[in-house]
Amino acid sequence: MADRYDVIIVGAGPAGLAAAIYASRARLRTLVLDESVPGGQMKTTHKVSNYPGFPEDVKGTDLAKAFSTQAERFGTQIRRAIEITGHDLSGPMKSFELDEEETVEAPAVIVATGAKPRELGVVGESKFRGRGISYCATCDGAYFEGKEIHVIGGGNSAVEESLFLTQFAKKVTIIHQFDHFQAEPVSAAEALSNPKIEVIWDSEPRAFLGETQLDKLRIENVKTKEVRELATEGVFVFVGYVPRTDLVKGLVKMNQWGYVETGEDMSTDIPGLYVAGDIRSKQFRQITTAVADGTVAALAVQKYVKAHGKAAA
Amino acid sequence: MSEFVHEITQGDFDAKVTASGLPVVLDFFSTECPPCEALAPKFDAVAEQFAGKARFFKIFRQGNKDLAKRLGVTGSPTLLFFKSGKELGERMSGEEIKRSAIKAQVESLLGA
Repeated sequence: MADRYDVIIVGAGPAGLAAAIYASRARLRTLVLDESVPGGQMKTTHKVSNYPGFPEDVKGTDLAKAFSTQAERFGTQIRRAIEITGHDLSGPMKSFELDEEETVEAPAVIVATGAKPRELGVVGESKFRGRGISYCATCDGAYFEGKEIHVIGGGNSAVEESLFLTQFAKKVTIIHQFDHFQAEPVSAAEALSNPKIEVIWDSEPRAFLGETQLDKLRIENVKTKEVRELATEGVFVFVGYVPRTDLVKGLVKMNQWGYVETGEDMSTDIPGLYVAGDIRSKQFRQITTAVADGTVAALAVQKYVKAHGKAAA
Repeated sequence: MSEFVHEITQGDFDAKVTASGLPVVLDFFSTECPPCEALAPKFDAVAEQFAGKARFFKIFRQGNKDLAKRLGVTGSPTLLFFKSGKELGERMSGEEIKRSAIKAQVESLLGA
């Protein structure tokens, strides 16, 4: 027998947890599934400075904990470190198989699986992952104490995480494909005036080189086409995100970049199937916009579940 | 930590990992590492499943820097797989480690 819920939310990032807070406060039996611990991308962000309500910077992991504690206070069940090993989202009753051993179902599902760090797709990248290449500064920064490292990217994540990495590294060289940062001006200015940070503009990585450990990085200047190799003790990659759409591939409309198209109420073409947060086609992806999507999706789900039958309490 | 997973330090490495008669899975973890927290219950579950057939150890990176350096581990979590004193198979690293993937790699170690 499958365990029955009113709504199952996949992904415990800001979109999923905001949806969970609203859904469980509306007395819907609410289950949140996450393959990791709650927080989504927020939990590995070392500090958040633009989330309203926090006059001082807040650690991403603390914000994540606050979101999940608030959702659980209203009765949301959060299942952590779960692997979804099967799913059927097309019919009126939607189901998930978890860790090959149990099944849960609900008439409404909100997919808030967000996005994951984009890999560069450069030669040597998979070989040196965990052997010199990293995608998480809070997790791995301390491995690079006193080292000379490189950061690839020039958006908010790249610049802010570079600043964080200067706590550990002797020198951080940012390699960016354009001649200016895409990051917010405040962080960009801070990085440019930091004595430990250097920037190589107009350049892209072409290969990661080494025997068993990463020790060199080949870059190309996209304007002059000059190619050179830099000695490195570590590389952090922050070059944007790709949507995590495995659950809904083939079921819902996606835009040319693979993000899911929704109605204004976060609905998809499948009745009862909603998506919220960074996975959705939209112009801006912030914690605040994810929270807004989650709120809207949960309110739409309340209406939907009311019309299609609530699970017995 | 479950009863099927034991924490070791670098001083134990030769005795517990290299000299082990059973295959060994070693998890390098750090503090302030959400992906490490996420891996822990999956690692425990797989350890329980292979109790008596393979050994599962965790090692705290910050306290065992020399071993991390010697093995070339630069990220947490990182899983290393050993059989008869030799490291075998692909390392697993980062947030995306799946329980089913750990299980499959342990099974292939047992069959190898």
